Amino acid sequence: MKYSSQRVAYWFFAVCMLLFSLQLVYGFLMGFAHIGYDGLHDLIPFNVARSTHTNLLVMWLLAGFMGAAYYIIPEEADREIISIKWAYVQLIAFVIVGVTAIVGFHFEWWEGRKFLEIPRPLDYLVVVDVLLFIGLIGGTIWKGHRYTTTSIVLFFGLLTAALLYLPGMINTDHQTHDSYWRWWVVHLWVEGVWELIMGAIMAYLLIKLTGVDREIIEKWLYIIVGFTFLSGILGTGHHYYYIGTPRYWLMIGGVFSALEPLAFLGMAIYALAMAKKGGKSSTNRTALLWTLGTAVMSFVGAGFLGFAHTLPQVNLYTHGTLVTAMHGHLAFWGAYACLVLAIITYSMPYLTGRKLADTSTNIFAFWTSNIGMVSMTIAFGVAGIAQVYLERKMGLDFLLVQKEIEVHFFGLILAASLFTIGIIAFVYNFIRFGAPVGEVRGAE
Amino acid sequence: MLSKSQAKAFFLIGTVGFSLIFVGLTVDTFQRIPEQTNQKNMTAEVVRGKHLFEQKNCMGCHTILGEGAYYAPELTKVFERRGEAFIKAMLKDPDSMYPGQRRMTNYNFSDEEISDLTAFLKWIGTLDLNGFPPKPDLVRSASPTATGDTSLEQVVLKTEDRPLVFNQMCVACHSLNGQGGTVGPALDNIGSQRDITYLTKWLKDPMAIKPGTTMPKLPLSEEDIAELSAFLSSLKGSR
Ligand code: HEC
Ligand code: HEC
Ligand code: HEM
Ligand code: HEM
Ligand SMILES: [Fe+2]
Repeated sequence: MKYSSQRVAYWFFAVCMLLFSLQLVYGFLMGFAHIGYDGLHDLIPFNVARSTHTNLLVMWLLAGFMGAAYYIIPEEADREIISIKWAYVQLIAFVIVGVTAIVGFHFEWWEGRKFLEIPRPLDYLVVVDVLLFIGLIGGTIWKGHRYTTTSIVLFFGLLTAALLYLPGMINTDHQTHDSYWRWWVVHLWVEGVWELIMGAIMAYLLIKLTGVDREIIEKWLYIIVGFTFLSGILGTGHHYYYIGTPRYWLMIGGVFSALEPLAFLGMAIYALAMAKKGGKSSTNRTALLWTLGTAVMSFVGAGFLGFAHTLPQVNLYTHGTLVTAMHGHLAFWGAYACLVLAIITYSMPYLTGRKLADTSTNIFAFWTSNIGMVSMTIAFGVAGIAQVYLERKMGLDFLLVQKEIEVHFFGLILAASLFTIGIIAFVYNFIRFGAPVGEVRGAE
Repeated sequence: MLSKSQAKAFFLIGTVGFSLIFVGLTVDTFQRIPEQTNQKNMTAEVVRGKHLFEQKNCMGCHTILGEGAYYAPELTKVFERRGEAFIKAMLKDPDSMYPGQRRMTNYNFSDEEISDLTAFLKWIGTLDLNGFPPKPDLVRSASPTATGDTSLEQVVLKTEDRPLVFNQMCVACHSLNGQGGTVGPALDNIGSQRDITYLTKWLKDPMAIKPGTTMPKLPLSEEDIAELSAFLSSLKGSR
């Protein structure tokens, strides 16, 4: 660790671990509800569990991105964060807003719009909090001694992510408009600006872990994120096929979204190539493992499984079925969850000063959680394909089909248990690192 | 090979260019939405229903326009599928309509709220969704609009000759020719088991005949009941 203000990252990561663990509990609640054990229905009905599950996911990923930025930016910009005090204020405010939202869901204080359930008054607080965060990061880069491509791309990604939160706050009386703007947030986040954040964090990790020349890595960073936008912006059209919008979206959305996997493929090839090229025998091989895991699993989950249902002819049948849940899980896991776990794995030895980098616990966590998540994806996938055939192609009743595919949810719960064991190992490893008292090297 | 500054230019030009195209398409789309979605039929009732749908987070269990959760039936075409009376009864007391099944929250809606939600569901069913939801192409469903084109369908499913209420309400719980729900018994042979007087009485109030039965007293008119009991007594195990 070069600067003492990087320490604030530790607390963001600790919040990540906590919210992530809670997210899994709600996942199990829904898994059991699908096989008929909905004993908590009166307390936590399915829609409460679902909003909590997905919002905790988004929150802990954002906390991870923020922590990553607080860790990376001082090093890249070569100075302390402009105000440590405000960074802690920003963290505490984030946690308070997040917890209020989650508790509120349990009392039906929400907007029933998938992924954007946070009620309006809290939306404004989110905006204020994120502005503070952007100000702190931007100010640090501005006053820093060095402008690197990595920090600029990271900043641009965070800034546009903040801006794209706003379309989700447009009030409308029309279901089609509602859905139209919702995708500006949901799609343009995960298949647009979050990929910038991902690209920048990956670039940083690869520079540190492989020792390949910064110029080469950053050049590829531009090409990949350039490709992301080239395909991803008009690729939004793959959500405008069947919501009451014009037919031309079938063509536009189909063509451009079909190109989106290339950005993920590019990212995977580039990460693997850099890792191979780098001669540096890394001191933190587990962090490299998580980094390459991100590269590969994001291609499989987002690129490959996204492509599998993105063409309008296929999507007509799979739209709004468990096939979507299959893709959603592996894509979020591969691209963003693994990424946050990679930066945590990389930074913890520096933040805490304990050399627990290549512990067998973390390596176990990597393999167990990944195998678990792939199995979960298979379970969702089989259930989803069966649902598509029985319900959409044969015309059987929804509930009858759900009975038919119940067994796959049993499989899902088994796979999720394996996955959870992996995550418990990761969290345990995190706790073992202890408090952030790592030595500060200072500017070189 | 590209230099770093060329790569940067590629990124900037691509991003700005495609963002502008996207904004242009958005403007065009918003001009076309009113016609494609029958916006003129979006009454105050529909709008209230939409906001109620959102406030209660129905999307947290159901999908609508194919968006939402995968725990409960897709609602875009529910008005056509089940009809007004069924939906109203469902919203009044969800547990009675699907006894012993996956549970829906009972919201204790007022009658006005129920008609708002129903109006919303009716309107949403009239949108031009470019072909979604697809008509089952392997076997046609027992839906009122199904038309048998192929010989297979002629044999398996002839649904046009059934009363509309039957296709909307009764198939939610009963099957006929293997199509429909499993909450109640299959009705293929009911005509040999029960006579028309019994059936009429049963449909008027199942509880009166069999206290404690899980078949609810459905919102049926006199004509519906007469039509249904005549239809049911004709079901004698034949196709
Ligand atoms: C906790 C989950 C949940 C919530 C929330 C929920 N539903 Fe349902 N709903 C269900 C389930 C499950 C069914 C399937 C029937 C059953 O098992 O009760 C259903 C069935 C229905 C049906 C009948 C569909 C058919 O095809 O027969 C309608 C209409 C409906 N719901 C409307 C709504 C509306 C409107 C709301 C919001 C006010 C809502 N639901 C909220 C779970 C839910
Ligand atoms: C909410 C689910 C549900 C719906 C909707 C429903 N039924 Fe039933 N029905 C049942 C159940 C459950 C039984 C078995 C009752 C019992 O044995 O206690 C039943 C039994 C019957 C019987 C057999 C009665 C007997 O004594 O043999 C007939 C006839 C019948 N239903 C007709 C209909 C018709 C016609 C409709 C549509 C108007 C309909 N049902 C709608 C659940 C339903
Ligand atoms: C990391 C990147 C990605 C993540 C995290 C992700 C996640 C998700 C999620 C959560 C949904 C469900 C959204 C909702 O219904 O509200 C979804 C839907 C979808 N995704 Fe992705 N996705 C990613 C990338 C991709 C890519 C690259 C493609 C295409 C090649 C793609 C194609 C689709 C399609 C077609 C749907 C709509 C499914 C439907 O009609 O129900 N996704 N994605
Ligand atoms: C213990 C492990 C988990 C279980 C049992 C689980 C289960 C579920 C279930 C049952 C649903 C709801 C599907 C429906 O609507 O019927 C769901 C939704 C979702 N979960 Fe999980 N989950 C788990 C972990 C995760 C993880 C680790 C992630 C992210 C990396 C994740 C991301 C999501 C997303 C994005 C959705 C929304 C999907 C969509 O709308 O298409 N889940 N989960
Ligand atoms: Fe998308």
